[in-house]
Amino acid sequence: MIDTTAPLAPSAARQVSAATLLRRVVQGGGMILFIYLALYAYYGAIEPRALRAHSIADLMNNTVPLALAAAGLTFVVLNRGFDLSVAGVISICNVTLAVAPLEGPGGAALSALMCLAIGATVGLVNGLLVGYARLQSIAATLATMIICQGIALVILRAPGGFVSEWIVYEMTDRLWGVIPVSGLVVAAVLLVWILIRRTDFGVSIYAVGADEQAAAMSGINVRRVRAGAYVCAGMLYGLAGFMLSAQTATGNPNSGAPLLLLAFAAVALGGTSLAGGRGGVFASIMGAATLMLLQKVLFSSGISSFYTGMFQGSVLILAVVFSGLIARIGERK
Amino acid sequence: MESEAPAEAGQQDAVGHHALEVSGVSKAYGPTVALEHADLSLQAGRVLALLGENGAGKSTLVRILSGVVSPDTGEMMVHAAPYKPRSITEARGSQVATAFQELSLVPNLSVAQNLLLPRLAKSTLGLVSRRQVLTRGEEILSRHGLSRIDPDLEVSQLPLSDRQRIEIARAIENAGRVLILDEPTAALAETDWIFEQIIKARQRGVAILYISHRLAEVREICTSATVLRNGRSIATVGLEQATDGDIFEMMVGHRVDTTRQVAPKSARDPKPRVQVSDLQGEALNGVSFEINQGEVLGVAALEGQGQRALFRCLAGLTAAQGGTVQIDGKIAGYRSPRQAMHFASGVSYLPEERKTEGILTGLTAATNIVLPFLPRIAKMGFISARSEEATARRAAETVEMDKRYLSFDIADLSGGNQQKALMGRTLASGAQTLLLFDPTRGVDVGTKESIYTAIRQFAEAGGSVLFYSSELPEIVQLADRCLVLYDGRIAREFSGDDIAEHRLIAAMVGHSETEAA
Repeated sequence: MIDTTAPLAPSAARQVSAATLLRRVVQGGGMILFIYLALYAYYGAIEPRALRAHSIADLMNNTVPLALAAAGLTFVVLNRGFDLSVAGVISICNVTLAVAPLEGPGGAALSALMCLAIGATVGLVNGLLVGYARLQSIAATLATMIICQGIALVILRAPGGFVSEWIVYEMTDRLWGVIPVSGLVVAAVLLVWILIRRTDFGVSIYAVGADEQAAAMSGINVRRVRAGAYVCAGMLYGLAGFMLSAQTATGNPNSGAPLLLLAFAAVALGGTSLAGGRGGVFASIMGAATLMLLQKVLFSSGISSFYTGMFQGSVLILAVVFSGLIARIGERK
Repeated sequence: MESEAPAEAGQQDAVGHHALEVSGVSKAYGPTVALEHADLSLQAGRVLALLGENGAGKSTLVRILSGVVSPDTGEMMVHAAPYKPRSITEARGSQVATAFQELSLVPNLSVAQNLLLPRLAKSTLGLVSRRQVLTRGEEILSRHGLSRIDPDLEVSQLPLSDRQRIEIARAIENAGRVLILDEPTAALAETDWIFEQIIKARQRGVAILYISHRLAEVREICTSATVLRNGRSIATVGLEQATDGDIFEMMVGHRVDTTRQVAPKSARDPKPRVQVSDLQGEALNGVSFEINQGEVLGVAALEGQGQRALFRCLAGLTAAQGGTVQIDGKIAGYRSPRQAMHFASGVSYLPEERKTEGILTGLTAATNIVLPFLPRIAKMGFISARSEEATARRAAETVEMDKRYLSFDIADLSGGNQQKALMGRTLASGAQTLLLFDPTRGVDVGTKESIYTAIRQFAEAGGSVLFYSSELPEIVQLADRCLVLYDGRIAREFSGDDIAEHRLIAAMVGHSETEAA
């Protein structure tokens, strides 16, 4: 592929084509992107209103909390870790916003920062427990999840309270009547991810996930990378809690729980390997989007919501089997 | 920038200057003393060999020198400054770098990324620049005569030999003062490339510690050797004065007979156990041969001539694209090593890469040994600890593995002992056909002898063995017959006294006329 006889002029051989650029952004998420588009086409066919700006924004708003949670979880899963604290962080952020609503754009910004801080703190605790104290990630994050759920209950005993109006209206709105604000939040997260991918930390996440020992022997500070991944993940959970609150407009100390398993499903559906080292944030976001879109499609097809879980699970199995097949075909070449 | 620094530092030092001084270093893990007392002195621009049996403490010493573990006692100096690395990065800061035996490359990153870890090349914005990483990677590769390797290729796509070369190139790149090569030729069939790199590094004034079990190559590149035995450095000898026998004696503590030859087979009518006809596959272009009962069949080949595909095919790991394999006259239809083990009289495989294909870390050595045949030793589905231990103990005896290692997590054992455990497992599986891929890779002389004996005994008892070795003397010593693979075909076949190193080499490089001479 690369002309090795002319080592002094390598750049000419490496003109980055648009296709490779896209491939790098998508990072193995091509499969799930394809599924999503196909499903959306079907949705558009059975539900003509699906392509209106309003419906798109609606779907986006529904999707974003799960997408952000899955994006955060991806950091940890790439590191070959588990993180159950996602449910706890989202619950704490949600009840905090419901108990202490801060009005106006300034208040919203402050609320968002608070959520990020809550997530970062929980993430740091996870990171210290898993990275430095070397506890098993399931055990450690199970503990932090239970603690966080407890804290959420202390802050707000029963569902209630009101999230500030500015957050509820503006974060679910559309810019110029077209672009959903929640979509911009996801886009911003993706942008940050692309930048992180181009740091030593970003590369190290993949290295540690693939082979911890080899990574350490290559000079990577495995503990710090692992802790860093948990902190990043926590911040994204915080953001997910923020966006979820904008959606529900009220507080619920258990609001994070339903997202926990769906977030894992979204990560797996996106093709990020639970064995670490393969996948990416974009793929997980698309995985989350597909799960939510599937709900809509089933609803539009008149299938009772009781069956949603069965469909989601089946799609997950199919996607994992299918991407495994594709990977194997790729290896044979 | 960074890549030029080592070269400059090296030029300041005259050859013979003390580059690394190690005195009285020790390390114990709980009650196990891995290294009792080691002294070592490396001079700039010289190559010192470190010799010792498995478990003599070589790996521990390497880990200490590389900054992976800290010694309990003792002092180290690099260029007359105290040297106490707490991590690999700190060791690199003192311009000490190691090419590890178990290879420390990250499989899912590209060659170029691996070469530059942990700090990748950045663009002006401070972000990792893909293009610059590739360019820098390409520079490093071409500096070490590896420009044929694509720097953008993922490491997992490379054959083991190229991974080893990259591991070595990376170490040389980071070693301005001291370079440690731990079994650098374990996966390399020839030494030309590595010796060339060593000579280049030596000319820069780098001191090199060379660890290998292959005495012939040690003699070729090193001037003196330090011998470790039971965790103590016994002596440092000039290699010109010492004979192989002297060195083995120092390593083992007693004389070893290395010249024993295979006794000519008594005429018995050969019963074929394995019949392979016209086997086609990824790297195989039609291979046919037979293995008889009680026969040890050697395979000699340069790297990448199809030997790996052949073994994986016979073991049931990959499916053949054509041709047939018959075991005891039955067409083999097994599709996994597990099925192979139970097919006819059984086929058991010792894989090439023990770290990823062989051992199960987290389990004890004993469990690792008995795992493939648990059902056989189980009573009503339950496995008693006693029968597991007894079986493992018997297996360990066949390869002369110290019994006290059986209860250790296999990951904590030295590479040689891991190999012994796997060898013991293969022998104890009950299969009548063994496929051994480089069975003595990374194993010391004493252990080699016991593995040879075990293989011979297995064959005496009627078993059939197919083994590949990257060390020709081993084939000469052990094989009844020998196939030479070249380009996925059997180039030549030798038997009995015709198996001689020079003949094998000629056939291995594709020279087929030698037999007439």
